[in-house]
Amino acid sequence: MTGQGLAARLWSERWAYVFLLPTLLLFGAYTVWPIISSLYYSLLDWNGLGAERPFVGLENYREAFGDPLFWQSLGITLTIIAVTVPLRVALSLLVALVLNNPRLPLARLFRTALFVPAVTTTAIIGVVMGFIFDPAGGPVNQLLVDLGLVDQPIDFLGDPSTSLWTVMGVHMWKWFGITLVYWLAALQTIPVSVYEAARTDGAGSWAALRHVTLPMLKPFLIIIALLTAIETMQIFDLVLTMTNGGPYFSTLATEVYIYQQAFATSTPRLGYGSALGVLFGIFTLVLAAIQAIGIRYANRARSSS
Amino acid sequence: MKAAANRLRLGIWAQVILLAVICLVWIYPLLWIVSASLKDSLGVFSGGLGLIPETFHFENYVRAWRDADFGLYTLNSVLITLGTVALVILRCALAGYVIARRNFVGKRVVVGVLVATLFAPGGLTIIPVVELSDLMGLLNSRTGIVLALAGSGHVAAVLLYAGYFSRVPRELEEAAVMDGAGFLRTFFRVMLPLAGPVTATVGVMTFLAAWNNFLLPLVFTFSRPDLRTLSVGMLAFRGTNSTDWSGLAAAGTISLIPLLVVFLLLQRYFVEGVAGAVKN
Amino acid sequence: MTTLGRRRFLGLSGAALAGALGVAGCTRTSTQEAAARAADGGGVIRWWDHFQPLKPLHERIFAEYAKANPGVRVEHEVYNPNEMGQALQLAFKSNQIADVHSVAGLGLSEAALVASGWLAPLAGAEAIRAKLPADSLLEGLHIFDGKVYTFPIFSPRQYTTLNWFNRELVERAGGDPVNGPATWEEFRAIAARITRDGGGKAYGWIQGLAFHERLQVHVVELAMSAGAPLAMAQGGLGELGLVDPRTGEYVYDTEPFVQALEFLLSLVRDKVVFPASTSLDARTARARWATGVAGMFFDGSWNIGVVNGQFKQFVDKVGVGPIPSPSGKPVLYGAPAPGQLFVSSQSRHVEAASGLLARFAGPEYSKELAAFMDQVPLDLEAVKRADVHPTYKRAVELFGQAVRLAPSPLVRNPAIAQVMSEMKSPRPTLGELTQGILSGEVTDIRKALREYTGKMAAERERALKEVSGKGVKVSLDDWKFPNWQAGQDYTAEMYR
Repeated sequence: MTGQGLAARLWSERWAYVFLLPTLLLFGAYTVWPIISSLYYSLLDWNGLGAERPFVGLENYREAFGDPLFWQSLGITLTIIAVTVPLRVALSLLVALVLNNPRLPLARLFRTALFVPAVTTTAIIGVVMGFIFDPAGGPVNQLLVDLGLVDQPIDFLGDPSTSLWTVMGVHMWKWFGITLVYWLAALQTIPVSVYEAARTDGAGSWAALRHVTLPMLKPFLIIIALLTAIETMQIFDLVLTMTNGGPYFSTLATEVYIYQQAFATSTPRLGYGSALGVLFGIFTLVLAAIQAIGIRYANRARSSS
Repeated sequence: MKAAANRLRLGIWAQVILLAVICLVWIYPLLWIVSASLKDSLGVFSGGLGLIPETFHFENYVRAWRDADFGLYTLNSVLITLGTVALVILRCALAGYVIARRNFVGKRVVVGVLVATLFAPGGLTIIPVVELSDLMGLLNSRTGIVLALAGSGHVAAVLLYAGYFSRVPRELEEAAVMDGAGFLRTFFRVMLPLAGPVTATVGVMTFLAAWNNFLLPLVFTFSRPDLRTLSVGMLAFRGTNSTDWSGLAAAGTISLIPLLVVFLLLQRYFVEGVAGAVKN
Repeated sequence: MTTLGRRRFLGLSGAALAGALGVAGCTRTSTQEAAARAADGGGVIRWWDHFQPLKPLHERIFAEYAKANPGVRVEHEVYNPNEMGQALQLAFKSNQIADVHSVAGLGLSEAALVASGWLAPLAGAEAIRAKLPADSLLEGLHIFDGKVYTFPIFSPRQYTTLNWFNRELVERAGGDPVNGPATWEEFRAIAARITRDGGGKAYGWIQGLAFHERLQVHVVELAMSAGAPLAMAQGGLGELGLVDPRTGEYVYDTEPFVQALEFLLSLVRDKVVFPASTSLDARTARARWATGVAGMFFDGSWNIGVVNGQFKQFVDKVGVGPIPSPSGKPVLYGAPAPGQLFVSSQSRHVEAASGLLARFAGPEYSKELAAFMDQVPLDLEAVKRADVHPTYKRAVELFGQAVRLAPSPLVRNPAIAQVMSEMKSPRPTLGELTQGILSGEVTDIRKALREYTGKMAAERERALKEVSGKGVKVSLDDWKFPNWQAGQDYTAEMYR
C-alpha cells in the first residue's frame, strides 16, 4: 500500500525529477563528488603528486586542531566577515535606494560606475592596488599627505597592522556593485502601484521608505546577507594577488592558508589541506546554522509578542 | 506646493553631485589602469594622482592584441562564458522552480545537500574535477570547461530562483493550466519570463565568475592553447623576472570592455524589463 | 667507441670552436633520426618551461629544429614559476603533461619525481654526457639507477644577493661607483647617506620584502657571507636541505644567521629602506629601483638582462658589487647545479624529445645563453667572450671569486630525498620569520631562530625514523662531510 503510494507520488511528480535532472547530474559530478573526494584525501598523507598516499586516518585532523596558524586564519576570516558583510549590505542598500529613484538623472551611469570594479579581473586589481596604496608617491598617500591628514605615508599593504583593513576595504570596493545589484533587483519586485498607493495616502518619501519599502525588502535581507557572506569567504583570489596572506600572516584568510598547504608550499600537502578544508566547511556550516536558528528565534519571538 | 517641488529638485541635484564625486573616486583605480596602459615601462611608476601620460604609447595595445593572441582568447572567453551562463540559468531555474512549487519525494534531501555545499571551500575541488573530466574525455574541450563551470556551485542561483518562484501567486500557474498548458509550457511560457530580474542577477553573477575564472580554463587547456581564455592569456605578461605592466594594463582594459557592454545591456533589462505579469 | 672518446675529449678540453663544431655535428644526426620517428606519432613535441627571458632563444632553437626535421613542430609554452607547480601537478595527473618540461614550483626533488614515475631516462645520454664538463652529472641529482635523466644548463657558481646599485646615487653619497660598498658597515653608511640626501625622493635600499621565499634566499646568503658553512640538499636554498657539513646539523640559530637578520633589521631601523618594499615582489622592486628612487638592490645576475630589456633608459647607471659581508671578503657555497629540463615519462616521443633536449647541453647553448644576460651558463668561459653589458661580466667574475661548491647530502645518499619528501616544513618558515622580524612582529631574534632550528631538527628526526622504518638505508651521518674544508670546492671525487 505504502509502496504503491510512493510509486504513485513519484510518478505524479515525474516532471519535478526531470527538471531536477540537469542540476543533479552536473552538481553531483562537479560539486558533490569533489567534496567526497576531499573527505577521502583528508584521511591520507598525500602531497598530491606522488603515487604514494598512505592512509593515516584522522591524523591530519589531529594536527589541524593543534595548528596555531589554522586558528589564527579562522580568526582573520571571521573578522573579515563580521566587518565587511554588514557594512557592505547596509551601504549598498543605502545607495540602491537612492539609485532606485526613477527621477534621478544619470542613475544608470552611476550604477555602472559602482559596478565596474566587480567585472575587473582580480589579478589586475591586485596589481593596481599595489600602486594605489603605494607609500612612496602612490595617489592615496599623496592625497593624505597633501591634505595634512598624516605626516608620514602609511604603508597600507606592507604593515601588518593596516594590511588586513586595506584588503577588506579593497574587497568591499570590488564587490560592492554585486550587492548593489541584488538590492536593485529586490527593489524592482516592489510594484510601482505600492508607491502610488502610499503617495495617495499622503505619505512623504521618508515615511514611504520606512513603512512601505523597507518592510517589503526584509525577506531579501537574509538572502542578500547570505550571498554576500558566501562571496566574502571567497576573498581568496584577492588576498592571494594582493598580499599572499602576509605580511607575517596578517591577512592569512583560511582559504589562503588551505591553498598554501595543499599546493603552494615547498612541501605541498594535499591531504592536510583537504582536512583543513573539511574543518573550515564544518565551521562555516555551524556558523550559518547558528545564524539561521537565531533569525528563526527572533522572528518567532517577534510574531508571538 | 511649488516650493516643495523645488526643494525636491534641489535635493536630487545634491544627490547627483555627491554621487558623481563618489563614483569618480570609485572608478579612479580603473582609470589608473587605462592611464597605465598608455604609459611606457617606467612611466607606470611615476606615481602621484595625475592620470594623463606625458606621451601616449598606443603600442601597448598592439602588443597586448598580438603577443597574447587576444583576438582568439576573446572569442573563447565569449563562447565559454555564454555557454556557462545559459546552462546555469536553465538548470538553476528548473531546479529552483520545482523546489519552490512542488512537493516531491526527496525534496528535503536535495535542499539539504544544496545548502550544505554552499559552505564548502572552493579551492580544493580542482583535482577531483580534473580526474573526473579526464575520465569522461572532457579535457581539452570548450564543452568540458562549460560543464565544469556550470556544474560547480551556483547553489545561490538555485536558491534565488526558488525564493522568487515561491512568491509568485498560485493563480498565475493555475490560469495557465486552465488554458491547457502542460508542465513544461507553464514553466517556459509563464514562470521563466516572470523571473526576469532573477535571471538577470544570476546571469550577471555567472557571467562574472565564468569570465574571470582562471584555474579551470588553464587546467582544461594544457594541450590546447588555442582554447584558452582571456584570464589565462594574461599569464603572458607576468614573466619570471619581469612583468609587462603597461601590456597587462592594456590587456586588462581590453578585457573590461565586453563586460561593460554586457552590464549596460542587462541593466536596461533590469530597469525596463521588469516583468509586466507582476503588475497585472 | 673511439668517436665517443674524441667527443668527450673535445667537450672536456674546452677548445671552444672545435667543441662547438663537433657538438653541432653530432646533435644534428642524432636528433634527425629520432625526429623522423616522432613525425610518425603526430609530429609535435610539447615543451613547457619557466624561462620567460629566454623565450626568444628557445623559440629560435625550436625553429631551427623544425627546419632540420620537416614534419616536426615544437609547441612551446612559458609558465610563471608560481603557477607552474600546480599546472604540472594537474597535467601529470590527467596525462597531458608536455614531452619536455621544467619542474619549477613543484617543491619535489628530482629523486622524488623519478621515484613517483614522472620522468623518463634520456635517450642517447652518452652524447649529452660528452658535451658536458667531466663530473657535472651526479648520481642522486641527474643520474638515478645509473640512468641519466637530466643535465645542468646553468652554473652552480652564482648567488642572488649581488649588490646592484645606482652609480649616480652611490657616487653622490661618497661611495665607490665601480664596486659599491663591500662591508655591511659601508652598506649601512652609504644607504643612510643616500636616504638623507634623497630627502624623501630616494632611499638607500629597495627590496621585494613581500615574498618570503625570496627574502629567505637573501638571509641565507648573507649568513654565508658572515661565515655560515652550508651543505645543500636542494636547489633554490630550500630550508630543509641546509646543514652544517661538519656536523650535519641545522644551524639557523648560529651567529651568522643572527647577524644577517640583525643587519637587515638595522636597515629597517635606520629608515633607509624604500617604504613600499614591504609590499613589493622582486619584479616590481627592480622596476622601482630602475626609476631611481633607491640606491641599492639585491638580485641575481639576470637583473641587468631585465633592465637592458625593459628599462633601457637606466642601463648606463647600473653598477654591481659583491654581496655585502661583515669582512668585505665573502665566501659563499653553491649547491651542485641541478638539471632544469626533463623528459616526461608520459611522452610518446622520448627519443625525439631527448634529441631536442641534447641541443641545450654544452658550450654552444652556453654561448647563446650568455648573450641574454640571464642565469649564468654552465660554461663560464662563454661569458668572457660574449658581447654583453660589463656588469654582467663583472657579476659572473664575482661569482667565480666567491662561490665554492657545497657538498650535497643527496648525492652522498640519494635516499635522503625520501627523508626530505617525508618532512613537512615547519611554519613559519625562515623567510616568514624574517618578515616578522623586519616588521616588528617578532622581537626576539635568537629565541625565534632557536625554536625554528629545534622544530627542523625534530621534524628531520621524525622523518628519518619513518623512512628507515621502511627498510631504507639512511642515517644522520649522511648529512656529515668529514672531508669538507671551509672555503674549498667540494668536488665530485670527494663523495667517493
